[in-house]
Parts: sequence; C-alpha cells; structure tokens
Amino acid sequence: MTRPRYTKIRRDMRQARGRILLMTTAVAVSLIAIGAMLTARTVVTREASANYTATRPASATLDIAGGITPDLLTQVRTRPGITDATARQTLTARVRTGDTWHKMLLFVIDADDPLRISRFDIERGTWPPPADGILLERSAQALLDNPTAVTVTAPGGQPATFTVTGAVHDAAAQERTAYGYLTPQGLTRLGPTPTHHQLKTSIAGDQHTVDTRARELATWLTSQGHTVNAITAPPAGRHPHQSQIDSVTLLFLGFAAAALLLAAAVVATTLGGMLAQQTRQIGILKTLGATTTQILGTYLLLTLAVATAALLLAAAPAILAGLALADATAGLLNLDITDTSIPTWVLAALAATGLGTPLLVALAPLTRAARTTVRAALDHRGTTPPATTRAVRPARGNRLVSLALRNALRRRGRLALTLALLTAGGALFTGGLSTANAWNTWVDDGLARRHYDAEITLTRPAPAHRLTELLRGVPGLTAAEPLSSAPAVPVRGGQVEPARTYPDGGHGAFNLVALPPQSRLTDFELLRGRHLRDGEPGTAVLNQTAATRLGDPAPGTHVTLRAAGTDTTLRVVGVVAEVGGPATAYTAHEPQATATAVRLAYDDPAALTRAEQRLADAGIAAATVVPTAELRTAVDEHVLILIQTLVALAALMAVVGTLGLASAMGIAVTERTREFGIMQTLGATPRTVRLTLILEGTAIGLAGSLLAVAAGLPAAALVGDMLGTLSFGLPLPLAPSRGGMAAWAALGVAAAAAATLTAARRAGRLTVKDTLTYE
Amino acid sequence: MPTPPTPVITVHDAAKTYTTPAGDFPALRDVSLTVAPGEFVTVTGRSGSGKSTLLNLLAGIDRPTSGSVVIAGTDVHTLPESRLSSWRGRTIGMVFQFFQLLPTLTIAENVMLPMDFCATRPPRERHPHALHLLDTVGIADHADKLPAALSGGQQQRAAIARALANNPPVLLADEPTGNLDSATADMILELFTAQADTGTAIVMVTHERDLSTWAHRQIHLADGRIAHQDTP
Ligand SMILES: Nc1ncnc2c1ncn2[C@@H]1O[C@H](COP(=O)(O)OP(=O)(O)OP(=O)(O)O)[C@@H](O)[C@H]1O
Ligand SMILES: [Mg+2]
Repeated sequence: MTRPRYTKIRRDMRQARGRILLMTTAVAVSLIAIGAMLTARTVVTREASANYTATRPASATLDIAGGITPDLLTQVRTRPGITDATARQTLTARVRTGDTWHKMLLFVIDADDPLRISRFDIERGTWPPPADGILLERSAQALLDNPTAVTVTAPGGQPATFTVTGAVHDAAAQERTAYGYLTPQGLTRLGPTPTHHQLKTSIAGDQHTVDTRARELATWLTSQGHTVNAITAPPAGRHPHQSQIDSVTLLFLGFAAAALLLAAAVVATTLGGMLAQQTRQIGILKTLGATTTQILGTYLLLTLAVATAALLLAAAPAILAGLALADATAGLLNLDITDTSIPTWVLAALAATGLGTPLLVALAPLTRAARTTVRAALDHRGTTPPATTRAVRPARGNRLVSLALRNALRRRGRLALTLALLTAGGALFTGGLSTANAWNTWVDDGLARRHYDAEITLTRPAPAHRLTELLRGVPGLTAAEPLSSAPAVPVRGGQVEPARTYPDGGHGAFNLVALPPQSRLTDFELLRGRHLRDGEPGTAVLNQTAATRLGDPAPGTHVTLRAAGTDTTLRVVGVVAEVGGPATAYTAHEPQATATAVRLAYDDPAALTRAEQRLADAGIAAATVVPTAELRTAVDEHVLILIQTLVALAALMAVVGTLGLASAMGIAVTERTREFGIMQTLGATPRTVRLTLILEGTAIGLAGSLLAVAAGLPAAALVGDMLGTLSFGLPLPLAPSRGGMAAWAALGVAAAAAATLTAARRAGRLTVKDTLTYE
Repeated sequence: MPTPPTPVITVHDAAKTYTTPAGDFPALRDVSLTVAPGEFVTVTGRSGSGKSTLLNLLAGIDRPTSGSVVIAGTDVHTLPESRLSSWRGRTIGMVFQFFQLLPTLTIAENVMLPMDFCATRPPRERHPHALHLLDTVGIADHADKLPAALSGGQQQRAAIARALANNPPVLLADEPTGNLDSATADMILELFTAQADTGTAIVMVTHERDLSTWAHRQIHLADGRIAHQDTP
C-alpha cells in the first residue's frame, strides 16, 4: 500500500489510535459474545443430538400388563413398521448411601439383551454384572459420592446391597435421579418378580409414523389378548432438553447481536466524529480529483481494517469461551462432547457479521461525509452553529454549569446518539441483571410455596385416612398430607395421545394428582380461575405446564385424562404457577381415597426417619423419599449457568456502552479544540476549561444512566418473559435488580467523568497556540 | 498581427445569485470573460466583490445561476456532480490561501495524490514525477517532510507543485500570496509566470492592486461586475 491515499489512511489511523483502539475493542468484545454463543449453541446442539441418538432411544415404549414373553417379542419384531424390539423393566426404587436416601431408577435388562435399543456406554466394568452387582450411571456415581456398594430398596421388597461393578454413560439420564442397571437375577434379590412389562420398539419414520405404528401395534396386542396400559413416544431424536437448548442459546445470541449493534453504533459515531474533523481534507481531496467513490472506498477500507483487527482479536477468545460454555452445559446435561470441531459456517457467519455489521452501519455516515461538496467542505469550520439560539439557564448564577449544559446540548444529534448508546447498553445491563434477579426470586418464591420438607412415595397405595392416623403424633412432625399421584395421558377425541414422557419419567411427564382441597402444604400462586374446593368432585386445577400441554383450556372447559387405564373427565376451574414439577392436573381428594404418597412437614429432620418407620411398622413401605431441598438444587443447577451467562453478557454491554460514551466525549473535546484556545485567550484558565468539560460529561453520563435504568425495566420484563416461558412455561415476575441499577448509574457517571477527564486533560494541556492552529 | 489562440476559458454572461433569508443576493452579474492558454490573469476587487465566487464557477465548485462556463472544451455548468471531481483533477490545478496540504502526508505524497486519484501516470512514475515537480518549485530537499515542518512559502510552493501534478491546462489560485511576506510572494508569482510560459492558463485572485509586472491582464471586479480590465 504505497499509494498516498492508503498512506493517508494508515497515518490517520496511527494519529487517532486511541479512537481506533476504542472502536476495535467495542467490536471485538461484542464479537467474542457472538462467537461464543454461536459456538456453544452449535456444539451443544450437535453433541446433545449425537449423544442422545447414540443411546438409540426407543421410538415408542408400550407398557404391557403382565409382561412380555420371548415368543411374543419374536412376533412383535415381525410386525409391520417395527424394525426392532426388546423387552425391559423399569422401576423406581430407593438407594441409600450413608444416611441419605435418593430416588433410583432401576433398569432391569436381560443378560443376553443385545443392547440395540436404549443402550448406554460402559465406562468402567462389564455388562452384565453378577447377580449381586449393579452398574451406575456416571451422574449417579457423582450424586452418590462414588460408592463401592449401594443398598437398594425396591417397592414391595426388602433392602439388598449391591457391589458397584461399573459405571455407564447414558446420555438420556438427567438430573438428580440415580440410574442403576442390573439383571433380572439382581432384581430377584430385592423381592419383586421380574416382569418385562416394557416393550421398547424401534420404528423408522417421523413422529406421526411412529405414533401410528405404535397404535397399530397396541391394537394388535390387544387383539391377541394383552392389555396395553400406555404408549410413550418421546419426541423422535430430540434430547429431553433440546428445546430449552435451542431457545436459550437463541435468546443469548440475540443479546450478543444487540451488543454488536451497539458496538457498530460506537464505530459509526466515532467514525462520524473523525470524519467531521476531516471534512476540509475531504474537500481538498476533491479539488485534487478524488471522486466520492474513491473517498468512500478509502474510509470503508479504514472501517474494514478496524473490523478485521477486531475479528482477529476476537476469534480465538470467542471460540475458547464458546467451548467452555459448551463444556459447562454438557456437564449439566450429562453429555459427552466427543467432537469440539466448529463447523466452517460458524466461522464464516462470525466473519460475515464481524466485518459486515460495522461496514453496514458505517456506510451511512461515511457516504454522507464522502458526498460533501467541495463548497461545503471548504466552508466547514469544524463546529456547527448552535441548534438553538435560546440559551439553557439552569443553576441560577452558575456560569460554569450553564456553559457545560449548553455545550452538551449544542450537538443535539450527537447527544441523542450518545444517550441512546448509554441507554441501550445500560438497559441491557440492568435488564440482564434484573432477569437474573427475577429468576432467583421466582425460584425461591416458588419453592417457598411448598410448605413440606419431604415427600414419601409408597410402594403400594394405602387408604389416605390410615396414613393420617398413623402419622399423627410422630414427634417432630408438624403436618402430614396424603395425596395420590398417577401418570396420566391426555385423551382427545376419544384417542389416547401417545405420552411424550422420556424414560426418566420426569421430562415430558403428565401427572394426575389428588390432594386434600384445603392443602396446607402447597399454596401455588393462582394464575387464572380459582383453587379447588371441598365437595366438588370432578374439578381440576392445572399447573402452567399442564395447561400448556392441554392447549390452555379456559376455566370451565372439560379435559379428559387417562390414568391407570381409566378415563376421567374433569372440569378445569383454575391454573396455578408451579416451579419445578412436571405437568400436573390437581383434583380434590376424596376422604376415603387411597394415597400413593404422603407429604411431610417437620421441625426435626429425624422426624422423617421416625415417620417412615411408623409406616413401615404398619406394613406400608416407602418407595422413594425426596426432600424438598433436592428440588431446589435441581432447579438451581438449571438456572445458574443461564444466570451466569446473562450476567457476563450484561457486563459486556456495560463495556460497549462505556466505550461509546468515551468516544463521544473524545470527539466533543477534539471538535472544540479551537474554541478552548479562544476561551483561554479570553482569560479562561485551563482549569476552567477542564471543569466545564467534566461537568458536561458527567451530566451526559447521569442522563444516560437514568434513561438506562428506566429503559432497563421493559427490557427486563421482555427477557424475563421469554426466559421464564422457556424454562418454566411462565413469564418471570419483574424483579428489578437494585444493585444492577445502582451499579449502572455509578458506572455511567464514573465512566463519563473518566472519559471526559482524559479528553479534558489533553485539551487543558494544549497551549493557546496549539489550539488556534489546530486543524 | 497573429490570430488570437482558442481560449481555454470561456465565460459567457455568467451570473450567480445566492438565496439568503434576507432575500436574493447577486454575487456575480453577467460576467463574460475569455482566457487564452499561457495567459496569466489576475482578479482584483474589494472584499465581497465576487472574486472567490468567480473562481468557484471556473473550478466547478459552484454552478452559475445563469450563463455558461466552458473550460478546455467542457461545459462545466452542465457537468454532473459525479464527473466533476475527476474532470477537475485533470483540468484544474487549485492553489489556496492557506495552502491546504494534507497534514499527515509528506510533501511528496501530497504531490502524488492527484496522480493517484486520476490515475494519470503509471504508479512507478508518480514518485519521480513528484520529485521533479518539487525540484521545479525549488523544494526537492523537503520532499519527505510533513507540511508542518515547512515555512508558509515552502508550503505554498508544495501546493503549487501539487496543483501541477496532472499537468492541467488551467491553474486557479485564490489569494495564494495572502499569507506570505512580499519577498516570498514574489517568488510564488515568478513560479506562476514561468508556468504560464509553458502554456498553462492562470487565473489568480489577489488583493494586491498592481501586479502589472507579472500579469498579462488584470480584471477588476466591483459589485459582481467586471469594472475594467487592464492589459499592460
Ligand atoms: N454561500 C453564500 N451564501 C450567501 N451569500 C454568499 C455566499 N457566498 C458568498 N456570498 C456573498 O457573495 C458576495 C461575494 O463573495 P465572494 O466570496 O466572492 O467575495 P470575495 O470577493 O472573494 O471577497 P474576499 O476578498 O473577502 O474573499 C459576498 O457579499 C458574500 O457575502
Ligand atoms: Mg474571497
């Protein structure tokens, strides 16, 4: 690049290196965010899908009463559309390590099962384990503190101890449930008779084909004299958390894109300022024969140089941050990232946005500058006449303050842009923090609405009143409330919908729960309609997840659910908000009804053991015991990483917003250099010049902060709405982060003061002669 | 008597009226004028008499409200804005009162700019040609300095070298000596005379009353009209 016009660009850049650095940083920082989000999204989505598909999840699982014989299985394999089938058994048990009990999902698999459906990777040990051995899912290993042996209790059986002979990775395993894998021989040690009640099938085709084939198979099985209790067909090929991954990363990507737009605005204003200073030079270039296109080209080249530098700076950190985020998410979702390669399109997209956005945004001010006629350029004096002739007159008598304010208001357009930048940056910052805050508040709140400390599920239903009587008077126990819960399937148009429940029984599940209407142990927030009332059989209150699944029925609408083979039609009377639970329809408990679980409140943790003992003595065995606190951890883990990412993005917005302010103040000072000289020849001391400037900057910073805080509320509401709906099916409440707002206000004012101080120092240091000869 | 050469500048009945909030202001009224190649013409007149306005019309920086401006065979007043710049780069050399060198480029680089924009010479030849021009105006020693390191007179000579970079048929100068002492100003005028001798038409606006020693013709403007012309 030896042509003088490029030499000029190079030297101009060197001379304005402060601003170039500022623009580059702003773009680079936002590109890191975009690149990281794009990388994380791509890698996690790909790996979640790969991991999940690698387990060859059953397309449809049919629950057959009485189990499946080998003969029947062979016949099923030849049915139309069924590419493969296997018979399994799953049951919910409890596992004890030390003094704590955890819920355990036991997968009973024949020793000779070819493991072609619902498979897992053996990480340690071998399959099958001996009769007294068990393999644990690796997340269970961690949950249970890497035990060498575990004591398991199956419903209706006796405790038995198993040696942990190995660990497996089952990508479908989620959250706080311990997954254990054993053979029918192992199950016999626990008491229950092995029955292969689950018919797991592989069916080629889309969801509709899968549903149809599964129904056909069920019809055929029924015609053969078997009873099909339920059909479950989770979304084909989609990881249980796929939609959350999709939507949350998309939202974050949106944040990152907003940061880039902000950065591009910083570039545009900064370039605009640089060009305003160069207007006369542009005029001269035109008298020397430079065309508008040539001038535009050189300045676009400058912009491109900034964007390229930013892209080069950002690329590696973006990818590293993205992989780190992907890694953290993978840990949370129990995924193995086997392939960290980043598709070329991600890099291409990053490059395109990184180079394209600044160029596009800069195009308007650059074109305007390049179009300047020689006449206008030669007339240009570096400052624009005041937009208003009316002087602003606040702070009576204080000349300095009024001068500073008048200066701030002089360039209306620039002021508006600076304020917009500060506001946007601040709004996203406070909005992000408020969303994080809302999230925490909501989870706290939602869990606080469960007034029970633990829930015991029973191996066999027991009369509700019997439970109440038994538990009355247990020392330390303050309340006991029986309830019955059964997995249910919505029925529409007389046809049972294949349930979308994943094998963990949680994700995608739908429960029908009967509670005492005057339940003291839960008081979920009412969203619509009303709560359940005594003496009103056949009514139901849905939680928001259930309401969504049923198509948001209005109060008064009837819905039909099939539970344990029986259809129940219920009139919906209300919808409640429930944090951390599957889709549930609550109905009123009949006094004589049976209960499948009991919720307990106590002041003394030992009361739980005593209550359990009391029930056991009466022949009522506990299947699982889940302390409410565990729910909290499960929800927290989901949310924490999202909040951290949100806060990181918010911090980034703060950086870009501050850079914008610094740039604007720098321009304001440089532009008025000559004026400062004139002020000084008229007797102003350098100190006065400096002070006026700092006052001006601080005023802008303060205004920007206040606007940002105001604009941050709707931003938080919007983001909270999206995030809440994505994760819990409910918008988050608006919980403004006071700390975030105060931090932004302080940051805005401090950054404004600092940015101006730097510029003002420079201005104050110039001699009168410097400023007057300043070009 | 030899036949007069074809004029390189022909202004016919050119008028320029500025529309201001206070009403229309005629800055130039029906000016007609021709300048032959190699002619050195000065334009004098009081402040506000329309000197710069006339020069701007010649350079295509402003368009006449009525009348025509033809330079080197081109109707400047009808040339679209998009073609004006490169036309100007090849046809007109401009010299300003405040030199207007680009501060971040060296003297030689400043001189190379018009060649760069108009691609009038192969890139390899541009630097040698710039040095040659600087040598002509007597500041070849300063070729690699930045403008700020030069005196006013030296800067103006550099500006003249730059104006001549594309060997334009017309050189326009608006008070080129206005910021220089008389000795330095004389050197600049000498350069102009020498350039006119090579066939360049020169129109120079000046405040100095009598430049009859240098100029071939002196045009005197008053209230936007040509009051009189003196040919020595
Ligand atoms: N853009 C404009 N709008 C309105 N009036 C203008 C404009 N430019 C020039 N004028 C007026 O036209 C008249 C001629 O201006 P011009 O610049 O040609 O004068 P000049 O002879 O060059 O003066 P000086 O010797 O002071 O440079 C002046 O009265 C000036 O006020
Ligand atoms: Mg003038």
